[in-house]
Amino acid sequence: MRAWLLPTRSVAWFGLLAAALLLPPAMADRGTLNDLWNVAFAIVLASAWNLLGGFAGQISLGYSAFVGIGAYTTVLLALAGWSPWLTLPVGAALAVVFSVIIGLPTFRLRGPYFSIATIGVGEAVRVIASGVEFTGGSSGLRMPSGAFHFLPNYYGMAALALVTVGVVAWIREHAFGMALDAIRQDIDAAEALGVHSARYKLLAHAVSAALVAVAGGLFATNFQYISPGSVFDFRLSLSIVLMPIVGGIATLVGPVLGAVLFSYLQIKLLASPALRDSYLFIYGGLLMAVMLFEPRGIVGLWERLLGAWTRARSRAAEA
Amino acid sequence: MEKLAGVLLSSLFAAGLYATMSYGLAVIYGVMRIINLAHAGLMMLAAYVTLTLNVRFGLDPFLSLFLVAPLFFGLGMLLDMALVRRLPRGGTTPSMQSLLLLFGLWLVLQNLAYLLWTGDTQSILTPYTMSSVRLLGDSYGIPLLLVFGVSLLSLVGLDLLLRKTFLGKAIRAVTQNRDAARLSGVNADRISAVAFGLGTAFAAIAGTMMSTLYAFTPDFGRSFLLKAFCIIVLGGLGSFTGVAVGALVLALIENLFAAYTPIPTSFQDAISFSLLVLVLVAAPSGLPALFRSFSRKAVAR
Repeated sequence: MRAWLLPTRSVAWFGLLAAALLLPPAMADRGTLNDLWNVAFAIVLASAWNLLGGFAGQISLGYSAFVGIGAYTTVLLALAGWSPWLTLPVGAALAVVFSVIIGLPTFRLRGPYFSIATIGVGEAVRVIASGVEFTGGSSGLRMPSGAFHFLPNYYGMAALALVTVGVVAWIREHAFGMALDAIRQDIDAAEALGVHSARYKLLAHAVSAALVAVAGGLFATNFQYISPGSVFDFRLSLSIVLMPIVGGIATLVGPVLGAVLFSYLQIKLLASPALRDSYLFIYGGLLMAVMLFEPRGIVGLWERLLGAWTRARSRAAEA
Repeated sequence: MEKLAGVLLSSLFAAGLYATMSYGLAVIYGVMRIINLAHAGLMMLAAYVTLTLNVRFGLDPFLSLFLVAPLFFGLGMLLDMALVRRLPRGGTTPSMQSLLLLFGLWLVLQNLAYLLWTGDTQSILTPYTMSSVRLLGDSYGIPLLLVFGVSLLSLVGLDLLLRKTFLGKAIRAVTQNRDAARLSGVNADRISAVAFGLGTAFAAIAGTMMSTLYAFTPDFGRSFLLKAFCIIVLGGLGSFTGVAVGALVLALIENLFAAYTPIPTSFQDAISFSLLVLVLVAAPSGLPALFRSFSRKAVAR
């Protein structure tokens, strides 16, 4: 076990994250809170994706489907008179059902074949969602006008981010997480040792789909308007994949670091027109740099620096 | 009956273009065991280069193939030497690392096109864009027929290259067994660069031809990439004759669905993506393998 992932350190990290997300409403202005809301949203997406894409090593490029399912469930049920909060579990349940329907066939594929199939699934869902009527077609849907309070939504998203990180940390420490680890390292060896790989992959997919769908529901409530172009977008799937990979795939801290970095980038990008036109340069360039130089992202880079520093220090001590 | 003939004919025409765009992916996959996600970006880039040549110098899109294809061949070799070669080799199965690296390249190419040519929808108009000929009672645009002709020529060219030249022999040898090829003196690294160049050139040929048929944006090519992937899986990954069969099967299915079912054309892409998932799951080693296993069962009985 790496030193900074020992339980005490983990608790310190978690406490820091909780303080960063839960304290600001008392003192920060609405603009800062909006930025933090985006950070929390990104943490949910990145950490939940990391459960399947990182720990189990099944890189899915179609996660926007779950954001969309959550968001549309919330808007459609709210339009039917439901309270937005009550729609969240329904969205999560639908996402779980969908994740199993998609997972049963696609989990028979390995590595890149699985990834390509998930692009296909994501695109098919987007095309269908833009074509059918109940999604509002390409013009989208608006939440029923009514009292919307930002703060409860903010606390909801912040709590969801903490729950997601907590759930992933818990899974990692238990047999479930070890099974996922084994599947990533060598699926044949894992099967030979009695790990029912299909079942664990489906379970990981379902858990992360549910978390992402709840985030999608909160997203719809906060923005009050959704369309297939906003929630089923390929670019959304893309940033969901990029955050954990840039931060450090298959680690606990990595997705959180990636989410913070990307939210910061996004805020900067929105503020400057010159940068807004080159966000794909930044995303693509980061992805290429990570793959070429440090496949384990920021976490890997940090560990490498730490290793170099310790070696230098021990050499200095010897001399 | 006449309707069926029309459907078959338009499937054949579509299959030519589909096969051309898929050969690029198949060559790279065969030799390097890499799935080139940047394929779509390279097709898009070729379409824009063709557009610029057309607008600036009045060059006909089909003539510009003689410029665009060699240019992209060089670009492909450069990309292999600068990027792809730096990754650890994945062995017999393609590595996630190369998939994601090329994914990043695709994004960079999209942004490049956006900065150079803006995000506006573009299309290329030639004097013959609107003219058509009648075949079997249906009319077909001249560009479509030209695209079919060029596709046939380039596929025959590739086939001759692979079967009749020493380079082609070396490419096929590396496709079959990289280590054995190296033991018999083939420079596998150089062959990989050539294969990446060839794949890129075929992406460019397809992209240039598409620019005469479709309107395009920097986002252009994603649905074609998925179709191309579907085709090479249908054809049994890395089998060059299989690709032609796969292209024909996909084109037939699309056109039959469009002609005989009430499914709106906007869902057409959803059909090919669902087909992709279905094929990946039901016949991951492609149609040829499926037929073989059927006939073996028939013999056993």
